[in-house]
Amino acid sequence: MSGELKSIPSLSPAREAWWREALRSPIFTAAVAFGLVLVLGLIFSGDGAFYKWGTHRDALRQASVYGILACGMTVVIITAGIDLSVGSVLALVAVSFSILSIHWGWSPWVAIPACLAVGTACGAVTGGIIARFAIQPFIVTLSMMVFARGMAKYVSGGMKVSTAVQGANGTYSYVDVPEIFRLIDSRLLGENLSVVSLIFLACVILSWIGLSRLRWGRYVYAIGGNEAAARLSGVPVGAMKVLAYGLAGLFAAVAGICQAAQEQQGDPETGMAYELSAIAIVVIGGTNLMGGRGGIGLTLLGTLIIGYIEKILSINAVAEANRLMLTGVIIVAAVLIQRRRV
Amino acid sequence: MRALLGTTIPIGMALTLCLTASCERKAQTQVFTIGMSQCNLGEPWRVQMNADVKTAADKHPSIKMIFKDAQNDGLKQRAHVEEFVSAGVDLIIISPLEAQPLTKPVAKAMDVGIPVIVLDRRVRGDKYTCFIGADNKQIGRAAGRWIVKQLGGKGKVVELKGLMTSTPGQDRHTGFRAGIEGSEIEVIFEADMKWLEGKARGEMESALARFDEIDLVYAHNDPGAHGAYLAAKAAGREKDIMFVGIDALPHEGIIYVKQGILDATFEYPTCGKEAIDIALKILNGEEVPKEITLGSRLFTTENVEAGGEPIGSEP
Repeated sequence: MSGELKSIPSLSPAREAWWREALRSPIFTAAVAFGLVLVLGLIFSGDGAFYKWGTHRDALRQASVYGILACGMTVVIITAGIDLSVGSVLALVAVSFSILSIHWGWSPWVAIPACLAVGTACGAVTGGIIARFAIQPFIVTLSMMVFARGMAKYVSGGMKVSTAVQGANGTYSYVDVPEIFRLIDSRLLGENLSVVSLIFLACVILSWIGLSRLRWGRYVYAIGGNEAAARLSGVPVGAMKVLAYGLAGLFAAVAGICQAAQEQQGDPETGMAYELSAIAIVVIGGTNLMGGRGGIGLTLLGTLIIGYIEKILSINAVAEANRLMLTGVIIVAAVLIQRRRV
Repeated sequence: MRALLGTTIPIGMALTLCLTASCERKAQTQVFTIGMSQCNLGEPWRVQMNADVKTAADKHPSIKMIFKDAQNDGLKQRAHVEEFVSAGVDLIIISPLEAQPLTKPVAKAMDVGIPVIVLDRRVRGDKYTCFIGADNKQIGRAAGRWIVKQLGGKGKVVELKGLMTSTPGQDRHTGFRAGIEGSEIEVIFEADMKWLEGKARGEMESALARFDEIDLVYAHNDPGAHGAYLAAKAAGREKDIMFVGIDALPHEGIIYVKQGILDATFEYPTCGKEAIDIALKILNGEEVPKEITLGSRLFTTENVEAGGEPIGSEP
């Protein structure tokens, strides 16, 4: 499922057995790392909570927003870029979506496309600046991170946009949670799968198609592998970058809509430091921060690794200090496991 | 633009009111400038504090307010105090981020004769005019006692803690534990949700997966309790569990109680209105107490429409 560029087997001098090659592949080592995390859960099951499907459903639900951000982040990182703005764009969209849906009563058919457009525009603007002026993605997306957070605070007036509505005399009354919020925050298949997890899966599949099945994906890998060579080969580097960052912005918007629905409000402070979690997920999966190598299948596994670590620590009610230390240790261990090629 | 209008209109109104007032009575022409430095407007409770100060100040045409937001940066807040001093304001209201870095700037303002009202968090020493705050331990204890009463002295409770490296988190925890002491209330699950609704929801999901029997959730803030409610609702267990929060902001906790989501919330007063009352007394040369501790109010489903009831300050 990953979209790495592999050497063509027939050209390798001594062709290896297919299973040996499979064992060496990053997707396999990422799966091993995830398997070991699952074993941790089986051992420390929190009085058997780990053996209940509900725990896994909830772990997936909680990891989904990070995973959606990580999909866009994967594409950007494969171009040898980085996007620090996704957490803030998420907040901006969460706030906008809440204002449009709760306070203005817009239909989701209008509100959702409008919010997706806001996120995509934020990404496309950063991508455009990066491509046109050849500035480091770090600093451009850092600027967007600050700007979008400011926008989120401006449009919300610095307050959470919730179902509490202030009347003319200063007192608050409440309105119903919009139907679309309930729908996104509901479950399917006999209460066994959260809708946000399905949205995450849809994002995974979309990015996988983009990276592995479309010419655009080849361009993305080519830019990350060697930008100058890609340019000389006629790859429209600038346009591809705008698309890559635009996609990251689009996914940040999707994540923002999911976040607002789950919190039943638009909090201008939400999504703080989510960009770091998204980057961590991508790298733990095995996508190279230097660009050119990696894939969305790896990011799916990275999301599961991070999500399950958090859930296992949570069902065991590990104290916060130990939780942070253990998370650090487990992440390094997961990365080390991937380093050791069989 | 909106911010500009927001400040110019009240100031303009205040000025017009002053002018009309001065035509009638020449004696009351003086306008006092009060500088207010807030440590972080990223927190809804602090946004509410500023709103309360503004509402109270708007009622007095003789007060002109200048608001500054330090955005969680102690040095920025220090600069605020220094700017207020060089601008020669008549009084400073400060809700400091941290005690240590702001003690000296506040003392310097006092040295040049500008009175300083300190809100919610303290500065070191006694170089300030008046401190107004509330007691988180007392609120935690009141919550603990109320919970003991509601559960008949016996039950299984989940505690969702605020950031445990912060004083409010620690005090709401120790106060609560003191409040339930001696009863058969058992805290079966506790986790640090860092004041975050989303985190509280995830932790509550873990608690629900582990325990089939939970009587009550005590969260250190209302968003935490709301997050726990959403988790329980998704599991179809919200009817079997009571939810108690703290803060009681008008657009948050109080609304949640009105909606029947929370069973109770305990107010953590913002001191905003009181700060302006005290400021007027100081500016008019009256004596004010050095320390003021505000009491809390309890809001439940029964009394929320009537405006809650004071929990008093019994030890």
